[in-house]
Amino acid sequence: MERERIIQTQDLSKFYGPHMALENLNLDIKKGATGLLGPNGAGKSTFLKTILGLIQATSGEGTVLGHDIRTEGAAIRSRIGYMPEYDALNPDMDAINQVRYSGELLGMNPIVALQRAHASLQYVGLGEQRYREIKSFSTGMKQATKLACAIIHDPELIIADEPSNGLDSTAREFMIDTLINTVKQGDRSVLMASHLMDDVERVCDDIVLLHKGKLAAQGRIEDLKAIDREIEIHVWGGASKLEAAMIQRGMRVRREGRVMRIAHESEELTSEILLCASQVGAQIRRMHEYEASLEDLFLVIMENLGYDVKSSEDLFKHPIHARKVDAPGHMGGGAS
Amino acid sequence: MSEDEEITPHPQPLAQTQSQPIAIAPQLPIPSTPLQVQPVQPVQQIQPVATDDVQMATAETPVTGQARMDTAWGSSEGDEDISEMASIGQTDSGEIFKQNYEPWKGELNPRWMRNWAILRHHILGIFKKGHRPWGIPTRIFLVLVFFASLSDAALTLLSSLIGDSEFHSMWGVNRDNLYGHVLGFFPRNVMYYPIVAALLVGGVISEDRLHGTSALYFSRPINRFDYIGMKYASVAFIQAIIIILTLFLYYLTEIMVFGRGWAWIVDTFPIFLGALMGGILLIITYTSIGLALSSVSKGKFFPGIGLLAIILGTKTLAIIVKNLFDREILYLLSPYDCLAHVGQTLVRTQPTYDQYSWTWSLASLIVMNAIALYVLSSRVSSMEVTRE
Repeated sequence: MERERIIQTQDLSKFYGPHMALENLNLDIKKGATGLLGPNGAGKSTFLKTILGLIQATSGEGTVLGHDIRTEGAAIRSRIGYMPEYDALNPDMDAINQVRYSGELLGMNPIVALQRAHASLQYVGLGEQRYREIKSFSTGMKQATKLACAIIHDPELIIADEPSNGLDSTAREFMIDTLINTVKQGDRSVLMASHLMDDVERVCDDIVLLHKGKLAAQGRIEDLKAIDREIEIHVWGGASKLEAAMIQRGMRVRREGRVMRIAHESEELTSEILLCASQVGAQIRRMHEYEASLEDLFLVIMENLGYDVKSSEDLFKHPIHARKVDAPGHMGGGAS
Repeated sequence: MSEDEEITPHPQPLAQTQSQPIAIAPQLPIPSTPLQVQPVQPVQQIQPVATDDVQMATAETPVTGQARMDTAWGSSEGDEDISEMASIGQTDSGEIFKQNYEPWKGELNPRWMRNWAILRHHILGIFKKGHRPWGIPTRIFLVLVFFASLSDAALTLLSSLIGDSEFHSMWGVNRDNLYGHVLGFFPRNVMYYPIVAALLVGGVISEDRLHGTSALYFSRPINRFDYIGMKYASVAFIQAIIIILTLFLYYLTEIMVFGRGWAWIVDTFPIFLGALMGGILLIITYTSIGLALSSVSKGKFFPGIGLLAIILGTKTLAIIVKNLFDREILYLLSPYDCLAHVGQTLVRTQPTYDQYSWTWSLASLIVMNAIALYVLSSRVSSMEVTRE
């Protein structure tokens, strides 16, 4: 059954002076959980601000829950719940009144807002702590309070910006479970921007990957991962010779020490690998079909786009590196 | 050992390469008839343990570690009846937390309700918990200034009680006293109103920037105009309680305690209106400058001190320049002096700067407010939802 579309853009572009932040973005995000990925400077924040109707797109058009992003920003913001990445809570207020106030800012009656604040805080696991001042909260509790503020009016779409950032394993687990529960039990949609691939993979069925303001990949995670099927082998002795032999036979090989991954492009791949190994005298001690993670998928896409990164951590932790690549050649960057 | 090193062949016994037929595992016979399910025998009733077998602690029992363990865990060696333990284990322990998503089908109210929420949040925060948390010193100071501002009303009441006309001419309602209630320099515009304004405006916008709570507003259907407008109105309203309400109470006290008739009211009401206009101008000017300072800051100290420095510093500078160089024109840089000049014209008392037209002061006030509002709006429009 075709899922309902919640966000749709057509040739959406946004320029800040000469700097292009989004370029001809054609997105089609369906109901459910979707991960929004991309290195620093990819245009994620600009995209979020544009779909919230807070900034005007330079060209193109789009809709969120059927509302035009150019003219119906207020209507969009009434129907979505936004959970910001950074602190957005008054530390001197107690949680219940902070969440109630966030409901009142949406136009809820104060009494109704208070009732919903109790329900929302109970849902995010802060039922017992609701009368505590926010300054006494841990990072996990603050994140949960922000989520409670976002869901107080039972929005159809929750935009969660780095919801599990800075949380310990228990709090992170709870946050992820809560988001999953919101999608599965609550039948709500989540657009989750995160640098933590594991979290995105657990919560989301789909991803949107932005790069330099353009759409780099979009679709179901399972479908995208299937593109990147590989055979992983663990080699003992003669690994470099084996690598060279396999490359000579036209195989696509990625290697990290004695572990190699070979793109699964033909049915006879295993036989060919064994043949190469026997020719160069290398032992293959382990061979199995490698199930790519979202992290691998992300790295493959970024490598195809010209980034030299070892892990997504590198890319996200060093924005200068990413921006240098974005910069023109005469300024020390890698772009033409 | 690197992964590229040559493998030295070791003589190893070759595996048996002779092919052998794979033995087919014998199939288990599947009975054609279903097995009879044997009824489970009820658990044998647990026999009560003879009391003689258990060593009961008495008052004479020495308090040793072993005795404490026995008291806490029993005295057996761990050979308890398993069925008894199982029955304990099967007890339903209940559920501490169950996460249930509760949908809400209500309707959201329109724009006025959202704006009212901002106004209410700030104003009610002065009086009760659960709204904007104003500091305790701020609240105490507001209460003190409110009662101090009513001092002229109290003295009017006192003059009616003692019936001294000279006392009444000092404190009762007249042209100079109405002006003085709002725009008198000492103590009201040194110790009361500028400090009230500084305490109020200090964190109103800067703390949203500091705590990131601006995201809470702008990710909701609230536009920048409503945000500024309601913050402005909140601060202005609290100042109005102290300045305008006390002015009204002062005027009302005179009418009530002296039994003033319509003729007196008709005579003095234009003066009252002039003072009222002066008060409104004062509130607008202090609020505009204060909020502009608050919008460029991330704390409440700088806007507060900045506002006091502008109001009192420019006034002091104008006095110094006048005394040293006998030039009064610098008073146009002082918000207080300009307000006083316009106020004196509205109330029609003797102007302090009579060699200049009051329109210069009004123009200066308009420019000051315009600059402040421009700074305020441009800074608030740069406030982000995603990050600061």
